[in-house]
Amino acid sequence: METLYITKRGWDSFIKGKAEICNIFAPFEYEGQLFYSRVSPDIEKDIVYNKARTVEPVKLFFSPFKERVVPEVKELTEMVIMGVTACDINGLKILDRVFMGDDYKDPNYANRREKTLIISSDCLSPYPACFCELVGTHPYPEDGFDLNISLFEDGMLVDIGSDKGRSFIGEDQKFFQASKEQINKREQNRKKTSEKIKENNRDFELDDITRKLKGAYQTDLWKLPKDIENCVQCGSCTNNCPSCVCFLLEDTGTQETMKKVKVWDSCLFPGYARMAAGVSPRPTLYDRYANRLLCKYWYMIENYNRTGCTGCGRCIAGCAGKIDKRKVLTEVLRERQRI
Amino acid sequence: MENIYNPIRCEVREVITESPTIKTVVLTPEKEFSFLAGQFASLTVPGVGEAPFTPSSSPYDKEKLEFTVMKAGRVTEAIHNLKSGDIVGVRGPYGQPYPLDKYSGKEILLVGGGVGLAPIRALFLALMETISNYKRIVFCCGAKTPDDYIYKDLIFDKWQKLCEKNPLCFRITVDRKDEKWKYNEGVVTKTLDGLDINIKNSVAVVCGPPIMMKFTTLKLLEIGYAENQIYLSMERKMYCAIGQCRHCLIGDKFVCKDGPVFTYEQIKDKPNIWA
Repeated sequence: METLYITKRGWDSFIKGKAEICNIFAPFEYEGQLFYSRVSPDIEKDIVYNKARTVEPVKLFFSPFKERVVPEVKELTEMVIMGVTACDINGLKILDRVFMGDDYKDPNYANRREKTLIISSDCLSPYPACFCELVGTHPYPEDGFDLNISLFEDGMLVDIGSDKGRSFIGEDQKFFQASKEQINKREQNRKKTSEKIKENNRDFELDDITRKLKGAYQTDLWKLPKDIENCVQCGSCTNNCPSCVCFLLEDTGTQETMKKVKVWDSCLFPGYARMAAGVSPRPTLYDRYANRLLCKYWYMIENYNRTGCTGCGRCIAGCAGKIDKRKVLTEVLRERQRI
Repeated sequence: MENIYNPIRCEVREVITESPTIKTVVLTPEKEFSFLAGQFASLTVPGVGEAPFTPSSSPYDKEKLEFTVMKAGRVTEAIHNLKSGDIVGVRGPYGQPYPLDKYSGKEILLVGGGVGLAPIRALFLALMETISNYKRIVFCCGAKTPDDYIYKDLIFDKWQKLCEKNPLCFRITVDRKDEKWKYNEGVVTKTLDGLDINIKNSVAVVCGPPIMMKFTTLKLLEIGYAENQIYLSMERKMYCAIGQCRHCLIGDKFVCKDGPVFTYEQIKDKPNIWA
């Protein structure tokens, strides 16, 4: 992969120029947390690079909470999304498989993906809830982006991940070929972040998780971690998850013009799998909580050959019941180990 | 790009009352809608909602499309309230059909209970089109009471006449008979007692309410059917019908994509399959 170097000032002026002609979204800090906001040409200096993930998952841009799918949305504009961390890039890989992978392509999702340029970035200050290293991924993206930026001393390294990324840079003279030394230095930075995440997670053990969770349906098994009873079934974990895809369809049209609206749903909601006559295959909270984790660490691997959890930790940080999923899983896996 | 959620408009030609809780809607699709027996479609009542149903009409009938629906919730109630001339939407077909090539040369045991006779009807009509491919059909039907039977004119009359010239027989029962009932009394599993079938060269197809499917499967296993000889038509809450919304998962299997027809072997280890 080709890697370029640009000074921070050079990059700021590059983005300022781009913000005048394209729709750019980037992370900005608000009360210590990062949120995506539209970049207007005068605020490019406030963009936060290479810190950590944003509060909201990037899936919001491609599959909004609620939108019309019949007829599909026609007036989609081109977008550039900056500062996407590796956990969100891995979330998009699941979304791509779900919404564009098979014979059936979700029209709005596929159109937006085509019209969007992704500029990812290394994560350098992970939160305590971050655990990407525990699920076999890293705090820096290796593919799945158009451009990736790594903050580096007084400038940044820019990896070119696609032709789309290359043409975004074009012939801009502010970019130079990165040196081997610079790339080595970046590797050291990346390793440091990885080590920090491992250190933050030393109390948790998720090794061999898929094998251990296969067949772990038993309601009683999920009653063992006492924390699960604190779940208030609010759907925060699923809404904040970069790879949770569940949705429902509402019909709002008339016989003349049928309309369908797609709305996010949550498998933690009691009504999620309940059928017309009132029967549910997952009647208790424990069944539903188990289902979400089995879906992440087992079903999605069967369905898409890829784990559904990216280790972003949003489900932990945002949990109204203060449940640490890592603790729950460690306890369940320990029990599965014994039998 | 074609919009996967866009239904085909269909005009309601007729609404037939089958039983106190079950109606059949007869539709004329604006565009041809082809399906194989066992596949399902999503039926939209505009402004109300959408739900998955397996057509109950013959897959060979290109003129009309029928769905037999029990009133159980909001969408099914709206379907019951349809009048001829109304417009509904249909998209599909989706899912795996009954693998008729695997049934060739075999004795086919059909077991349908209540509204579960609907998909079995489509299958039965498809089998009858090529009846020489199969050794024999044994059709077991059940319902709670005589009044609860759907397709009364077919089961008690027209289809009975087919038995004269075809390798076909019926075993008909109700849970509770009335004074006019001339067939058996007892739950549908009772019709499986004393079957004169060479089970080694047979397949069983079961569709009905979950409790009926459970006890029928157990009975079939007891009388010697292997797990992969038992075909079940499964139901789950469903929205997208194309393997995206994940509502219909039974364990890691999508009812919409991997099913709705499964062998018992495929799903026996999944959680709560009889819910």
